[in-house]
Amino acid sequence: MIFLFAPAALFLILVFVLPLIRYCWISVHALSVITNLEMIPNYGANWIRLYNDQRFWQDSFQTIRFTVTSVSLEILFAIAIALLLDQRWRGRGVVRALTILPWALPTTVMALGWRWIFNTPHGPIEQIISLLGFESINILSNPNIAWIATVIGDVWKTTPFIALILLAGLQSIPNDLYEAFRLEGGSSRQALFNITIPLLKQYLLIGILFRTAQAFGVFDLIQIMTGGGPASSTESLALYAYLNAMRFLDFGYSATIMLGSFILLVFSCLLAWLIFNQIKKIQL
Amino acid sequence: MIIKKLKLIIIFTLLCFSSIVIGLTDTNKPIEINALMPAPFADSTERLVEQFNQENKGKIHLTVTRGPRETESVSDMAISSMILGNSPIDILLIDVTWLPKYAATGWISPLDEWVNDEDIKSIISGARQGNSYKNREFRWPLVADIGLLYWRKDLMQEPPKTPDALIKISKKLQNEGLVKYGYVWQGRQYEGLSCVYLEVLKGFGGDWLDNSNQFRLDEKSSIKATNWLRELITSEVSPKAVTNFSEPEALQIFETGDSAFMRNWPYAWAELQKPTSSVKDKVGVTTMVADTNQTPTATLGSWGFSILKNSNNKDAAWKAISYLTSEQAQKELFLKYGYTPTKAKLFNDIEMLEMSPILPELEKALQISEPRPKTPIYAQLSDVLQRELSAVLTGQKDPQKAMISAQVSSENILKSAGELRS
Repeated sequence: MIFLFAPAALFLILVFVLPLIRYCWISVHALSVITNLEMIPNYGANWIRLYNDQRFWQDSFQTIRFTVTSVSLEILFAIAIALLLDQRWRGRGVVRALTILPWALPTTVMALGWRWIFNTPHGPIEQIISLLGFESINILSNPNIAWIATVIGDVWKTTPFIALILLAGLQSIPNDLYEAFRLEGGSSRQALFNITIPLLKQYLLIGILFRTAQAFGVFDLIQIMTGGGPASSTESLALYAYLNAMRFLDFGYSATIMLGSFILLVFSCLLAWLIFNQIKKIQL
Repeated sequence: MIIKKLKLIIIFTLLCFSSIVIGLTDTNKPIEINALMPAPFADSTERLVEQFNQENKGKIHLTVTRGPRETESVSDMAISSMILGNSPIDILLIDVTWLPKYAATGWISPLDEWVNDEDIKSIISGARQGNSYKNREFRWPLVADIGLLYWRKDLMQEPPKTPDALIKISKKLQNEGLVKYGYVWQGRQYEGLSCVYLEVLKGFGGDWLDNSNQFRLDEKSSIKATNWLRELITSEVSPKAVTNFSEPEALQIFETGDSAFMRNWPYAWAELQKPTSSVKDKVGVTTMVADTNQTPTATLGSWGFSILKNSNNKDAAWKAISYLTSEQAQKELFLKYGYTPTKAKLFNDIEMLEMSPILPELEKALQISEPRPKTPIYAQLSDVLQRELSAVLTGQKDPQKAMISAQVSSENILKSAGELRS
């Protein structure tokens, strides 16, 4: 038995456990340009700094805000899209292929696209607003709403991913169930809430967990769309860790930030899972 | 099956052996050196590199690794390769602000062996800055870059000299409906904002980190400078969107003729002379505005070559560097791509003066150029400043409060750095 799962375990240890241990080790050392990149033990000073670092907590808030908003919107849209693509109609194959397109595009390319779409005053959105006679809203320059633009970019790109998972789920639901339900006089709306959604729950959970973990580590999209600005209002934890490692050459603190955000992520996923289970109990 | 596999293994080992033997016996193999440059530089030096390889055939072969286009991504790439220790790169083209960081970590090698006082004197004074760390040369300049004020010759007789005049002229032109905006610059939260601020700050008589290692961001002049940048936005001389502008966005607005002034680097000149530009032949170049009894300042941003510490072929690398930065090479790069030269002699070159009317302006700007604070922790200091400035420009924070908090954070960063070092 052990022999059989050894390759998988070895693989996991190599790509997951070892780096994590190394990160923990680095996070209790000073390792930066100031120490000439030598590891000097600093006995938890990084963790104290993290705890007192306002920017870390602000970025945590912003990362969670980004994650919760984009994942919820993605789930809503994905359910709609998956239901539509599950129906039989002409040209469905073509549309299915097209739906995947945003997900297949490299993030860099589409983030640059969004940056130009939201550009003031030359971007199409601002052009439309000014054509309609409204005052320009300067989306990417306004610290109160710039983060919404990054959410839009993320929702546009990753909704197809969840839709794909849900579509697979929908196709696993046998048609007999619906037929029997209809024979008993149930309406389509009732079928949606009594058959489709409950049976999709496992797939929804997979989608939520996948996307939460991904959105929590968002980097490229934000780096390109706003660079974390204006006034750091869109900076995510991953961006902050990257800044510390690659710009400030402070690898000790960067590792601490990454571990800090890892702990937050584990808590968030746990919380999401608990809430999900609660909902499940109520409905059943 | 087994025989087939055995055959394959035998063929493979034979191939390996023969390639090693060939590699060992070929004594005429030239010294291979590798240079990492941002994509635009890799493209523009392509012909020079080819020429160098031709001239040194059989002795040295220079290969250029084409880095990313964006400046900071090149730094990421270089750092990742240097952290691993055994970097395949011998020569690195680096930006002026990276030097203290790379020199302090010992990633790049001092150039004492190859550079003497005579060589240093051949470089124009402005471009001599930013090449050394702790009084040792670590970098040899290829191209100088300075912040310039672009102005519309068709809209005014003379460019403004003071911050007040700039706002006044802009407003007048805007009221007359001749331009949509007065002044476009780089207000996005990124390195460009620090460059913009340094010019304005010095123009108001302030300083960022002075020679005695004291921060002066909470002083009156700094707050005045911050106020002025904010005023540009509130008075609608600059569009609100300027707070997300980097160089391309500013250039795009100026190029379409929508703005009377623009702050940008010398590269913009060549862009503005292209047939697609609506302001072709209508643009003048001057130095940044400054308060009445202050001298104007241009932020220095230059690129130069460094040799990596781990390189095994430093002499060959230097040979390549001196070829690529020679007067002849710089002249070619200026005539073809508008790269500001660093050799003093070239600023009097008749052929170059004929080609480009802005060369004397570039020389003037270079004489008043200022480097950004020269410390290994510069990136942190700049990041703090950018955050606070961005908060002011977007109306989140009062200028005075922001500058005081920038001062305190900067002092803390420096303090923790100093404490660790002692």
